[in-house]
Amino acid sequence: MAASTSYSGVEQYNFDIVKKFSVMALVWAVIGMFVGVYIASELAWPFLNFDSPYFSFGRFRPVHTTSVIFGFGGSALFATSYYVVQRTCQTRLISDGMASFTFWGWQAVILLAGLSYLGGYSQGREYAEMEWPIDLLIEVVWVTYLILFVGTIMRRKQPHIYVANWFYLAFILATALLHTFNNLAMPVDLFSMKSYSLFAGTQDAMTQWWYGHNAVGFFLTAAFLGMMYYFVPKQAGRPIYSYRLSIVHFWALGFMYMWVGAHHLHWTALPDWTSSLAAAFSILLLMPSWGGMINGIMTLSGAWDKLRTDPVMRFMIVALSFYGMSTFEGPMMSLKEVNALSHYTDWTVGHVHSGALGWVAMISFGSLYHMMPKLWDTKVYSQKLVEWHFWLATIGIVLYIVAMWISGITQGLMWRAFDEFGNLQYSFVESVAAMMPFYAMRAIGGMFFLSGAVLMTYNMFMTIRQGKREAAALEAKLAAKMAHA
Amino acid sequence: MNFNFKHEWIETNIGLMAVLTMLAISVGGLVEIAPLFFIDKTIEKVEGVRPYTPLEQRGRDIYIREGCYTCHSQMIRPFRDEKLRYGHYSLAAESQYDHPFQWGSKRTGPDLARVGGKYSNEWHVQHLIAPRSMVPESVMPNYPWLMSPLDISDVAGRMKALRKVGVPYSLTQAEYEANVTKFGETVAKQLHIPDAQKNLVEQANFGNYDGDRSGISEMDALVAYLQVLGTMVDFSKYSDDAFVSDR
Amino acid sequence: MEWLLWFSKPENTKPLALIIFFVTFMGIVIYVYGSKKRSQKLESYRDIPFLDDETGTKDKQ
Repeated sequence: MAASTSYSGVEQYNFDIVKKFSVMALVWAVIGMFVGVYIASELAWPFLNFDSPYFSFGRFRPVHTTSVIFGFGGSALFATSYYVVQRTCQTRLISDGMASFTFWGWQAVILLAGLSYLGGYSQGREYAEMEWPIDLLIEVVWVTYLILFVGTIMRRKQPHIYVANWFYLAFILATALLHTFNNLAMPVDLFSMKSYSLFAGTQDAMTQWWYGHNAVGFFLTAAFLGMMYYFVPKQAGRPIYSYRLSIVHFWALGFMYMWVGAHHLHWTALPDWTSSLAAAFSILLLMPSWGGMINGIMTLSGAWDKLRTDPVMRFMIVALSFYGMSTFEGPMMSLKEVNALSHYTDWTVGHVHSGALGWVAMISFGSLYHMMPKLWDTKVYSQKLVEWHFWLATIGIVLYIVAMWISGITQGLMWRAFDEFGNLQYSFVESVAAMMPFYAMRAIGGMFFLSGAVLMTYNMFMTIRQGKREAAALEAKLAAKMAHA
Repeated sequence: MNFNFKHEWIETNIGLMAVLTMLAISVGGLVEIAPLFFIDKTIEKVEGVRPYTPLEQRGRDIYIREGCYTCHSQMIRPFRDEKLRYGHYSLAAESQYDHPFQWGSKRTGPDLARVGGKYSNEWHVQHLIAPRSMVPESVMPNYPWLMSPLDISDVAGRMKALRKVGVPYSLTQAEYEANVTKFGETVAKQLHIPDAQKNLVEQANFGNYDGDRSGISEMDALVAYLQVLGTMVDFSKYSDDAFVSDR
Repeated sequence: MEWLLWFSKPENTKPLALIIFFVTFMGIVIYVYGSKKRSQKLESYRDIPFLDDETGTKDKQ
């Protein structure tokens, strides 16, 4: 019962909004990763701070996190969710105006956030540094997004709601909840960008890490699993391995993720029971995480040769492998004994990036490589460049993670080392000096990853141009035929 | 049990699905966060912790503005090495007036929870302007712009906002007197919002944190803040395991 | 009503949470895998992404 529609779907689907968000995803990827490489280099070569407030590490770091997480990740999620919800519900988004508003609103959020950090406006909460006026704008955009998404699902032509949409829905709801409660703050006055958070100390810490970890859980995991549940089957040309597993996966993941935030606060002034409870759930979380990974990877069973022949498929499967690896590493780091060593060190930074680069970025690249040529009704401009991108990205990630493992564990061990008289063996600054080669190695890994993203942007730029040219040629041919007839 | 439950109801009803999803994701946060607001054990009973003076609070604002928390933690854990390196582990009570908390998550540089009083003002000023002139291996950025004048125009406004979120800065005579009972007269005077600017100027001039008497700089405020960190509780008054049961 | 006080004790949140979690989880698992007919029905939804497959101009060229 294939609905016969024109491929570009002008009438049936709103693909224009998907195109816009896809392009911006690539733009923010390049900007955000460039800033990432830059601040990584500042840690290895501090002269790069140039005595300027605008380039100093402390103000520049949130520019990196915001533009990769919310700029690149967010735009990729808007693009794919609008694409998936329309195609699996076989209906058009309910409002083009609202869709357009989410686009311009969201781009404004990222841009204003970046500029405001450089100007020194920050809430001082990790991954939620935006000050209150920007937070309000996010709130409005997000509610519009929710209405648009749910409204489109309500208008579907297909009785069942495909599982990818469940994950997108959970992501939208959870993000609304997290964003609202973590950003409760009192502005100094209506015309001041400065505000003070409603909570203090311990309660504030718990709220922030409830937000912080669930931004990882729902923004960077659940949503990208939605992406996985649509694009992996499509690219493989075979349905998902087990639909029943996906149901169990969804409810278990959604329920358990919200408990684990406090594992960021082991051994702090937070009451012990809270972080222990969080650790218990972190271990349990391994099950649904791996359930999802297995479901994705096994979709390819019987067609493993695709891994050799299809670089886009390889992006997706490597993404799932990194997802499996970091969801194993995470619970391990949430054990109190391991956390005592790993917390405050570069190990955490490495862990985040094995998830962010390995899972989030790789699955997004794979999905965009699948989707963008379809949107412009053409083929990828150069398969060879896709192949190059894959290897640059993979090598980049490996360099990054290995550097951070070594530096993180070294820091942890140096800080707790005692000499034979029971005194501390190293001063703090000795541990800083020991990090230099690994910080350089990390910056180089980042450069590899960044250059892959630049290649992709070029490749997609050429793909779009090719698509437009083909469409124009087709039109000309049609016009000529009409003239003859 | 004659309850013909169908998952299809959920799968085909977006409203129901949204509600159930919301339910599933709310439980964890409720169970872990809500009790923290009601258990009085969350924050230890300890003497000496007071809100920041106007100058210190402005310093804290600058600490947040420059993103110091991206490299420095303010939370000492109860380990032997941390006790030797930084001092007594941090108490919840010590950050009870911190809006927002600045415990941090990364130690690219050392923990700062008890940096107060460890170095001289001159050391801090020199180190903030050019860290590598004091510690050659440091990777900290230079902060020369901190010598620019401090904006003190809205300090009372800032304290009013903090008062609204629960910091006991006083606006009325009654509130002031309550503070005298709670913190003593010297501290209570510093917490009185109508005198905010006067207090700030006095503390900056008296302390002369940046070593420059010509005006009040951002450096004055930041160093005043750094020098008070971790110094409010006198741990010599408590036994070694006084706070263990609170954990 | 004395038993209600058990819920007010913070140290009981851990067993309580685990019980709630476990019961719900088992319920879902039994529901999903419990009946053969339902299993077949659920698995049929796997094909939704392929239902609107393109019959566009390019693929036919």
